[in-house]
Amino acid sequence: MWGRTLQFLPRDMREGLLPWVIGVMLFLCTLALACGLALGRGLERWSAGLTTNLTVQIAVIDDKERDKQTAAALTLLRATPGIVEASVLADAEVVALLSPWLGEMPFDTGLPVPTLIDVKLSRPDAVNTAGLRERLVAAAAGAQLDDHQAWMGQVLDLAAVVRLLLAGIVVMVVLCTIAIVIFGCRAGLATHRESIEIMHLMGAEDSTISHAFDQRYLSHGLKGGLVGVILAALTLYLIAHMAQRMGQGLLTASLPTGDNLMWLALLPIVSAILTMLTARVTVRRALLKMM
Amino acid sequence: MITFENVGMRYGMGAEVLRDVSFTLDKGSFHFLVGPSGAGKTTLLKLLYLAHRPSRGLINFFGRDLMTQERETLPRLRRRIGVVFQDFRLFDHMTAFENVALPLRIQGAKRAQVADHVEELLSWVGLEDRMHARPATLSGGEKQRVAIARAVINKPDLLVADEPTGNVDPEMSRRLMHLFVALNKEGTTTVVATHDDTLVRSMAAPTLRLDKGEISFLPGGSPIDPGE
Repeated sequence: MWGRTLQFLPRDMREGLLPWVIGVMLFLCTLALACGLALGRGLERWSAGLTTNLTVQIAVIDDKERDKQTAAALTLLRATPGIVEASVLADAEVVALLSPWLGEMPFDTGLPVPTLIDVKLSRPDAVNTAGLRERLVAAAAGAQLDDHQAWMGQVLDLAAVVRLLLAGIVVMVVLCTIAIVIFGCRAGLATHRESIEIMHLMGAEDSTISHAFDQRYLSHGLKGGLVGVILAALTLYLIAHMAQRMGQGLLTASLPTGDNLMWLALLPIVSAILTMLTARVTVRRALLKMM
Repeated sequence: MITFENVGMRYGMGAEVLRDVSFTLDKGSFHFLVGPSGAGKTTLLKLLYLAHRPSRGLINFFGRDLMTQERETLPRLRRRIGVVFQDFRLFDHMTAFENVALPLRIQGAKRAQVADHVEELLSWVGLEDRMHARPATLSGGEKQRVAIARAVINKPDLLVADEPTGNVDPEMSRRLMHLFVALNKEGTTTVVATHDDTLVRSMAAPTLRLDKGEISFLPGGSPIDPGE
């Protein structure tokens, strides 16, 4: 009662649920944000790797001819400005790449496998891929240059849609939270209407009355924010831990950890301010209708 | 100090509850407000403590025309008015001390400034031992005295009391009226709405009488019709 804000509102047990509802909303919001950020970070790293990488495939059945064309392609590639490294993948690595489709198999099955040359560029636009493709075919007829652009474009399109969807979820959750706070606030105004009238009759200004609601809803928003963020942080930690055990490098590298988790600490504050401002606007508008 | 001129009041599209009500309350005056149930006493009191604006007519409060006052200026006017409600309207979650301190806190007074003043006033109304009691543990008379203390803590220019003796025994009724008289002697314009004819006769104060929304004035000492 003697704080800076004149708190004339009694504690209302029915308002006790509001922080939990805000907590659930913030939990969903945090997970959506974390997924969006993880997806963005993962794609950034992944595409950065792919855009400075080319793959040359020499798909010739005859071993001698394949070796000959491989040597010619390597010579051409290593002589091309902008290419910092061109190396042939070992048979074991090629077999490992094929294993998802063909299953585990020994190297000496006699099955012809193409030779793959991994090409590293100094920067994404270091080489004119169309010109290189023509020169490669001239030097080694069985060479095929894959700059991954077609496939990567589809993946990036899909990622953009997913990120848009996640952003939509965040917006919907925020709007839903605002609506819940407005309903809660209106219920509070109705419950405490007589107290508000008495305060008005004693000469209280609207700001005095709305500060009491501000303080109450700031507290609800902060509590709810903490509940939601703690639950979300635990969930993210659990997923990261499980992914690490599964050895899913892309997933674990993409999940927010350490310094990246600092933004999570801001969410309860954002939640508290958003809840308080929503309550303030709702209360002020309602008070203007009273004498 | 307060003037009503041809004031009319209706709620929504209903019939007029008050019709052409005109009177003046001089500074430091004491008036009773009487009338049968449904006569419009509560509505008139609401106009007096600025809970409503009239539908028509002129009301002048402390030299200001109420009809032209912006909503933002009303809190300043209300701080000059003390109200004692029939049903007390105390905050149940606050102690007697906190309830009485509210008007001062609303005006931004510091805790140290408030404490002495509130304690002194609660002692004056005989509640020095009940300062930290909550309304639920107070008797009707004690609640009424807390309500009176809250109404007068900031030394209002106008005190409006709605049936202040309605919930207390005759002895407490007399004591409460002595409080009002003492306040009035210090210059507070006082209006007490009551059904208690004995009380009105005993005080011999001028009386505003409402009947079917119309007001008449009886000078001090005039007898009240027992049939009312």
